[in-house]
Amino acid sequence: MNKQKFCEAEERRLNWLINFKLPNYWKKIGWGILVVSLALILSTKFIDGDFDLLKSILKKAMLIGLLIVTISREKIEDEFIENLRSKSFSLAFIFGVIYVLAQPVVNYIVSLILQSEKANYEDLGDFQILWFLLVVYLTAFWSLKRRNA
Amino acid sequence: MKNTLKVERAILNLTQDELAQEIGVSRQTINSIETNRYVPSTLLSLKLSKLFNKPVNDFFKLEDND
Repeated sequence: MNKQKFCEAEERRLNWLINFKLPNYWKKIGWGILVVSLALILSTKFIDGDFDLLKSILKKAMLIGLLIVTISREKIEDEFIENLRSKSFSLAFIFGVIYVLAQPVVNYIVSLILQSEKANYEDLGDFQILWFLLVVYLTAFWSLKRRNA
Repeated sequence: MKNTLKVERAILNLTQDELAQEIGVSRQTINSIETNRYVPSTLLSLKLSKLFNKPVNDFFKLEDND
């Protein structure tokens, strides 16, 4: 009996996690965080000084903004939207893996052609990977939504 | 799978938006079902069946390639 209750509680927790979405108004907050962080990062280019730490924090804030937009509910969040979400996540995952594998190779080949003596192979940073995943997800989601409008 | 959702909707004289509101989905969802771009869940099909007062098989039909 205890084991059954434990399994049921586990399932409830898992379902809560899978179905977790922020309310719709969070989408605007997410966009706000993204736009403000992006504007601040761009403005550091016009001011002299060492902004490495600030830039690193702002980049994380941009990712948080995009994540909030991604997990915010649509005005009407129904099974069709859930279907579009899973298609978009799947596309983002596949393109993400291809991007992580191919982009460093492309970079290396291009730098070999342009400056062969300075060419070195470098893997992508975590920001680039996460940014790409979130942007591909949102782009796929919007285009699928527009296609069915 | 093909469907006659548009016809059933016309019989009840409902717009896509009105039908969507009746069964608690978006207008986009109804449009996607009508244009055969989305196959609804059993739950949604049963809600439609209740609203149209007809069995699901009357407005959803399997095609040869299904």
